Amino acid sequence: MRRLALPGIVFATFIFLAAPVLIVVVASFNSGAVLSFPPTGFTTRWYERINPLFLHAVYVSLVVGLSTAFLSTVFGVPAALALARGRYAGRDLLNSLCLSPLMVPALVTGVALYQFSLAVWDVTGIGLGGTIPGLVLGHMTFGIPFVIRAVIAGHARFDRALEEAARNLGATPLETFWRVTLPVLQPSIVSGAIFAFLMSLDDVPIALFVGGGDATTLPVRIFTTVEFDFGGDIMAVASLIVGASVVLMLLLDRLVGLEQFFGSRH
Amino acid sequence: MLANGSALAGARPRSAAPDVWLWVLLPTLAVLGLIFGLPLADLIAVSVHEMTGPAQVGDALTLEHYRAFVTDPFFLVMVVRTFWLGFLVVAFCLAIGYPVAYYLARTTSRWRGMALFLVISPLLVSAIVRNIGWFPILGGSGVVNWILMSIGLIDEPLRLISNFTGVVIGLVHALLPLMILTLTTVIQRVEPELEEAAANLGAGPALVFWRVLLPLSLPGVVAGSLLVFAMAISAYTTPAILGGNRVLVMSTYIAQQFRTVLDYPAGGTAAALLLLFAALLTLLALRVRTKGGEAG
Repeated sequence: MRRLALPGIVFATFIFLAAPVLIVVVASFNSGAVLSFPPTGFTTRWYERINPLFLHAVYVSLVVGLSTAFLSTVFGVPAALALARGRYAGRDLLNSLCLSPLMVPALVTGVALYQFSLAVWDVTGIGLGGTIPGLVLGHMTFGIPFVIRAVIAGHARFDRALEEAARNLGATPLETFWRVTLPVLQPSIVSGAIFAFLMSLDDVPIALFVGGGDATTLPVRIFTTVEFDFGGDIMAVASLIVGASVVLMLLLDRLVGLEQFFGSRH
Repeated sequence: MLANGSALAGARPRSAAPDVWLWVLLPTLAVLGLIFGLPLADLIAVSVHEMTGPAQVGDALTLEHYRAFVTDPFFLVMVVRTFWLGFLVVAFCLAIGYPVAYYLARTTSRWRGMALFLVISPLLVSAIVRNIGWFPILGGSGVVNWILMSIGLIDEPLRLISNFTGVVIGLVHALLPLMILTLTTVIQRVEPELEEAAANLGAGPALVFWRVLLPLSLPGVVAGSLLVFAMAISAYTTPAILGGNRVLVMSTYIAQQFRTVLDYPAGGTAAALLLLFAALLTLLALRVRTKGGEAG
């Protein structure tokens, strides 16, 4: 009996963890009311009824996610190298400063950006609220620190002798950087960029306050929709996201290794 | 710590010119300052100004909003509710997470990789989707109520969603993987031989847990709990969706002030306080973990 208790708890936990994800798929094919169980029949009509607004939101999410990942890498990698290799006073403080956005609740960052974009508009007439560039800037607040953290962690395992070897063999500093340093750091750069992308796709609080109108991401579109009404097409959209996540998960597991990917986060 | 740092700095020959790496860091610092530092400073500045009308912030300085937070029962109750939510989420995450982490840390089964995958994979499905998934499960005609009524445990459906209960369930679900991963790492560092030794000396499983396993894994338990607590009180999406606009915690209050009430100074004050709580808890968690790491 005791021997079975532990696996029992573990198994129940897995069901608990998987339940809301699996039920979304089941409910999306329910021909009756999507929120009632057991399903009364099979239908694909919820999928046919998906509001085109959701399609546009997918486009916004992808553009914002990819731009965030790219720009976060552009600004994050040099900063990570500067923090890992530099010898100057206040380096630890600068390091904490660069990672500090991760300690701030996303909602607080979101309302701060909302408030600030109003102030910027008052003073300069530049309106970033409700635009895709605004969303990207908002998501870079966590994207840059994620990339910095991943690259610093990867750099800790970096063997500097490789660079010395390249230099001794006649490579210029620039060549050494492009052909030795960057390739060695590539896995951590990639996992930092993927993480920034995933977090951008997932974010609600910042995109809710910075975006709006045409610049509404998929999670925010879902969020604002379920605030008022809970239709079957929401389940269909959610179920498609689950499908995309599974594909992504398998890809990620193949490319980076899931355990490593999430293990390196903290 | 400080003495150690300056001794190191003294030992190294210091060049007069600032390190070139500082110049490399500069653009990123400038960007983060512009998109994060300034907006945050502006938000805190707004919180010490008067509200002169909807979406209007006056010029006069005031600490009135902060005073209200420590004197007005409305805010006190809200802060207590927020912390109670964090406490409940941590308690459930620990109670469920510890046995699961213990299993993952100790098992030699070939299913270990699969089990770990099952723990991690929900993290990769968008938070908004996981939130929505609770409606067909916890709703009035959802799975749980259907099961409970089918086996005759209840006659009326239980209210499990669009209230505080729903928020607790959703947050436990969201944060449990994090707790399990943290605890698994810690328990792995406790050598199984210690448990065996205690058992050989006659200690029962409960005693082994209380006197050996728990004390040795305590730094990880504390660090994980502080992190989960910080994330639970900071969360907005889950309390907003699963609370169904009925659960007023700090995060939902902040969003309300900025989205509908348009009292920016009041919202800014709550945001500044939430930021303070979350940052302090996270720093504390990091400190506990580093200490535990040094000891282990």
